[in-house]
Amino acid sequence: MKKITAAALAFLLWPISALAVNLSLTITTSDSNAPVSGAVVYLDQVDEVTPISAEIYQKNREFHPKIMIVPVGSQVEFPNRDNTQHHVYSFSPAKTFNIELYAGKPPTPVLFDQPGIVELGCNIHDHMQAFIIVSKTAAIGRTDANGRVTLQANNETTMPLTLKVWHPRLLDNTQPITRTWDSSNDQSLTIDLTPELPTDDTMDLLQQRFQEL
Amino acid sequence: MRPQTHMGFRGRLITVMIALVVLVSLSMAALFMVYLFEDEKNRANEQLNIGERMTREILERRTDLVLSRLQVVVKDFGFRSAVASGDPGTIDSALENYNRRAQADFSVLINNSGEPIASTLNQQAPEMMDALIDHGAGQGFTRTFAYLDGQGYEILQVPVQGPGLRARLVAGFALDQALALVVARLSGTEVVFRARTDSNDAYQIFAATSARDMEMERELTQADDTPRMLLNRQNYFSRAINLGNDDSGDIQAVLMISRQATLQSYYTRIQVIVVLVVVILLFAIVLALVIARTLGRPVLQLADYARAVGDGQSPTPPEIRTGGELKQLRDALRDMLVRLREREAEIRYAAAHDEVTKLGNRNALMQATQALFNNGDACTLIGLRLNDLADVNDTLGLEFGDSVLQGIARRLQSELPDAQLIARTGGGEFLALIPARHPDEVDTLSRHLLDVIQSPLQINNSPFSIRAILVTMELPNDATSTNELRRRLNLTFEQAEDQPEPVTRYRPGQDESHLRELQLTADLHSAIINRGLHMNYQPKLNTRTGELVQVEALVRWIHPELGFVSPEEFIFLAEQSGQIHNLTAHILERVAEDARAWAGQGVNAGVAINLSAMDLTWPELTDHLTRAFANWHQGMERITLEVTESALMKDPEEAMATLNRLRALGMTLSVDDFGTGYSSLSQLRKLPVQELKIDKSFVLNLDTEPQDQLIVKSTIDMAHGLGLKVVAEGIENLAAWELLQQWQCELAQGFYLSRPVAADQLAEIAQSLASRRQDLTENLLEDHS
Repeated sequence: MKKITAAALAFLLWPISALAVNLSLTITTSDSNAPVSGAVVYLDQVDEVTPISAEIYQKNREFHPKIMIVPVGSQVEFPNRDNTQHHVYSFSPAKTFNIELYAGKPPTPVLFDQPGIVELGCNIHDHMQAFIIVSKTAAIGRTDANGRVTLQANNETTMPLTLKVWHPRLLDNTQPITRTWDSSNDQSLTIDLTPELPTDDTMDLLQQRFQEL
Repeated sequence: MRPQTHMGFRGRLITVMIALVVLVSLSMAALFMVYLFEDEKNRANEQLNIGERMTREILERRTDLVLSRLQVVVKDFGFRSAVASGDPGTIDSALENYNRRAQADFSVLINNSGEPIASTLNQQAPEMMDALIDHGAGQGFTRTFAYLDGQGYEILQVPVQGPGLRARLVAGFALDQALALVVARLSGTEVVFRARTDSNDAYQIFAATSARDMEMERELTQADDTPRMLLNRQNYFSRAINLGNDDSGDIQAVLMISRQATLQSYYTRIQVIVVLVVVILLFAIVLALVIARTLGRPVLQLADYARAVGDGQSPTPPEIRTGGELKQLRDALRDMLVRLREREAEIRYAAAHDEVTKLGNRNALMQATQALFNNGDACTLIGLRLNDLADVNDTLGLEFGDSVLQGIARRLQSELPDAQLIARTGGGEFLALIPARHPDEVDTLSRHLLDVIQSPLQINNSPFSIRAILVTMELPNDATSTNELRRRLNLTFEQAEDQPEPVTRYRPGQDESHLRELQLTADLHSAIINRGLHMNYQPKLNTRTGELVQVEALVRWIHPELGFVSPEEFIFLAEQSGQIHNLTAHILERVAEDARAWAGQGVNAGVAINLSAMDLTWPELTDHLTRAFANWHQGMERITLEVTESALMKDPEEAMATLNRLRALGMTLSVDDFGTGYSSLSQLRKLPVQELKIDKSFVLNLDTEPQDQLIVKSTIDMAHGLGLKVVAEGIENLAAWELLQQWQCELAQGFYLSRPVAADQLAEIAQSLASRRQDLTENLLEDHS
């Protein structure tokens, strides 16, 4: 039944899908309906993507940028531009790596050959955090300040779509959440987010404890 | 009585004081103990409050400490690496290692989905996993208390977060004896940890400061599970503290304070209090004894004093040292004694003295004479009676009368200087006891005294004289007892009143006849009632025919002790004592009764009854006569009532009225003892009498005394002239009888004819008289022939 409907819709949309189509939607929070900026939205599809070389440098004990989207097979370098050493690592299943204490530029870049969310951390600076979204599709984007994103979908795309949405403030930010979306029914999606942590308070609980003592 | 009073006073004082002391001591002790207990309770409560805060703080600190350790562990790169490696063996061994490092009792690692990845526990406890998963979500740590597998744990859950690593470390820290000891050391209480798996289940104890406490708490647990309550058990104050995040009370720390020490302090204090109370009691007893002694001795002295006063002694008042009220009491008793003596003297004086004249009174005289009789002394008694004192009092006033009495008293005192006693013994009666003298001397003295008394008195500047009578008695010759004295004195006064002589001396024997009269008067009454009187009848014969016409009723009294009492004597006494009407009525009844009796025996005789002078003024006489002779069998004229001449003459008018009434009844009326009184012939003429009865003094010697013959004959003639019949009594011989026949005296009566006889003998006498009739009328027949 679902297939029949899908086939019928695909037939109706065919002339349009011959070209690339832009899918626009807005992401809002489920509780306050506020627009969510910075959410990564992509279609659950496999495209031919071109790997790139990128870099996430460390400056002032922060990763820059904190969120980066790279196609599968991309290589990322982690140059250290601080005067302290860093120990960049990740236990994410998509890419587990470990660059022990170093200064300057590590000798080799890290290859991200599995799609997924890779969370980066520094072993000696717990508050340092960054995410690399390794994408296998070209239909991926980040929401702007109004929570709006536009995805370049090819003409074979049929409604409803399976969307993947990820945000660092997701309850489990190690993986995206999956949503089914129909642009003809709805122009927006809602997601649950944990409250925003104060940006200036970067000390972890242990540090807070020590401060209190 | 005295020791009883003594003991009673002291005993009561001691009892009251001891009771007071006991009451005060016991109530204070009880109050003290109550407060002590409250204090102990409050102290225990406070200690438990502190203990509760302390327990919570200790647990809080411990949580912080182990949490810090856990935070270090989960931040450890090696640990994270091991977890991230995904190799079960590596993860298990790493967990075990870090478990030891964190000094946790157990650790469990769970993944983001809540599934356990690794555990240091040998066996998986499903319920435990449920408890852990409930708190599995969230970013921060969670803390809970759980009862697992017979042991209570504080369970901490901290996230294990690395880049791309999401897991949670659950670590359990036992609530064990070590912790209990820490809490106990700081809070000063015994500590027991207990738990239950369900709110309906009983608590299970899993840790305590000592094994003994476990036992103790087990007992407590069975009784009361109310949390946060001060449990007043036999041996412990306790407080249950709920651990855990909710108020289910499924896992608790129970703080206990042994009451042993508290109770011990009670007992010690009670002992002290008991000793104190006993000491106070002893002190109170001693004090009471001392007070009883100091207070009791003067009271007893006063009691003795009062008793002596009561016995009529004049004791010296006791020395009272304590003063105050007791001294007042002593003074009051002393004053009372003085006034008692005064009043007693007044009473004595009043008892023995006459108020008006200040002479002695009757009492004093009686006492004096009694003393005289007792001693056998001789004495002369002079009695003085003022004649008209009552009139003086009535007309001139009582004050004047008193002045007269006082004047007489003064005169007696001055005239009888050697008198032993002068007394006023009655209204106007004075008696004086003077030394015994010769009777002539007494007489002279008495006359002189009476003259002095009767000489005019100066009262209110006006002369007044009063008449008096004077009697004398020689004691003890004239009287030997006070009773005799009183009676004979009175008798002498009565006699003196009727005598012209101014001075009357008691004559011996007067009193005896007086006594006889008294006795006869008294006995007459019963004699009348009990038919002690006898009726005799003396026949009256018709001189012409010699027939028995009538009998005169004569009353006789044989006194059981005194023998024959003459009718004159007892009739006189009956008149004196007011019994005459009874006597007359009695006689009337007896005569009527006897008359019926002899009429039945065939004796045809009328009756003659003597009436007293007093009967003539007796209104009921006619009624009595009518009643007595209601069944009279003959003509009423055959009842003759004889009234003495003197009785008729006493009150002729009244007598006349009575006689008229009697005459109206149809009875015959006769003048008795005619010729002896001072009868008025004019009166006699008016009286409705039908008969004269010539006194027997004229008849007894009629045959030999010519004067008597003259008197009798002329009396008969006069009577006949007046239309009266004549009766002569006292006929002693035939000569007199014949003379009377000759002079035509109608009826005759006398011993010659017949003595008075009893009623039952009358028939016999009537027969013998009938047989003499021939002889008695012989002479008359001769004359006629």
